[in-house]
Amino acid sequence: MINEILWSYIYASVIAIIAITVYGMASRPHITKKLIMLSILSDTACLMAVLIGVHSGTIKPPVFPGISFTNHPQVGTAELDVFSYEAVDPIPQVLVVTAIVIGLAVLLFLSYIAILLYQKYGTLDVRLIELRRERDSV
Amino acid sequence: MNESKGMKNKDTTKEIIVAIFASLLIIVFASAILFSGAIAIPPQPTNRPLASFYLRTTYNWEFKWLWSSSPEVVTSILWDHRGIDTVYETSVFFFAIIGALMLIRSYKGGSKYKAVGMSVIARSITKITLVSIPVIALSIAIHGHLTPGGGFQGGSVFAISTLLAIIALGLGFFMERRWTKHRLLGLRTLGLMIIGFIAISLPIIGFFRGYSGYIMQNQWKPWSPLGFGYVFNLFGIEILYSGSLLFLNLAEFLAVSAGLTLAFIALALPKEDIRKGGGLDD
Repeated sequence: MINEILWSYIYASVIAIIAITVYGMASRPHITKKLIMLSILSDTACLMAVLIGVHSGTIKPPVFPGISFTNHPQVGTAELDVFSYEAVDPIPQVLVVTAIVIGLAVLLFLSYIAILLYQKYGTLDVRLIELRRERDSV
Repeated sequence: MNESKGMKNKDTTKEIIVAIFASLLIIVFASAILFSGAIAIPPQPTNRPLASFYLRTTYNWEFKWLWSSSPEVVTSILWDHRGIDTVYETSVFFFAIIGALMLIRSYKGGSKYKAVGMSVIARSITKITLVSIPVIALSIAIHGHLTPGGGFQGGSVFAISTLLAIIALGLGFFMERRWTKHRLLGLRTLGLMIIGFIAISLPIIGFFRGYSGYIMQNQWKPWSPLGFGYVFNLFGIEILYSGSLLFLNLAEFLAVSAGLTLAFIALALPKEDIRKGGGLDD
């Protein structure tokens, strides 16, 4: 019972963060705050993906233990059974590994665009940018 | 100014639409969790069959036609089972950096920036971390097929040290050492080229020797006897290098660290240099 309550709490908070970040991205007028919301959104999506891979029980990382450059013995079927029973799902982690770096690169790209916007209009407030665009075009 | 007058008119309709959309998102995700069975509360007692398959086969010495000879299942899936996908994601990262640099074309380099940073204490400590963080990053990349981590993670860790150095030591620290755009971009491209070369090497070798080889193939398969091998003998000690995984991790480390370093340096350029614009020349 306490387990279910705690897991529901975790998922509810993750979903609440996603909803709040979407609302903030759309409604806050400042571009820096939009970028902060975007980074929180991508990190929360990664957290959610990793949470899907978790199973209840003994949790181990998806790395076969005790293997190094020089020590790599042949592994039997019994050890692999134990390993595949205990380790968490590796597939969401694989998706997250690349998503984090690509998210960072896209965030950098958007920051450059924000810098150029600041160069051009002298502000990062989208309402002021809109007004100044109209003023410049007239 | 009439700007402040225009800002006072809050668009309440838009706010309401956004709020409705956000609450719809809550309902969709909550129903996905509660009713569709995609996520169980509490989590399922054991792994899913697909996860068990990957965990069972990546380091299985009895089924060598399915394995990738690495105990690290995440790196195995990343660079072996879905390797082409990772190559394309690396090129997405590459083009994001290229696009960002196209927006700031005036990065000249040169030694006109002086290494003026923070106080002596901050500079000394940052110079210590400027040695230790890259060592840890390289260790993460080299052990990518044995322990959690890999090229992406190592490169990101390396970029942290340059970010710290930009803040504490000033931009001139890199300019004095001639970390120009062309050199960093060259390293970045070199990493991507190594990845591409490893990806197409086995099909080319197979073409000339009469076998079939596949793009991003790591170990031999029954229908394709080519492979990178998994151990090599160094003075009587057998060292596990897991086929192409070690080389791909190192190339990815080079690519990500150079690309992120370049992006951070360009992000820290003074305002006047960005405004000037101009050519791509060094």
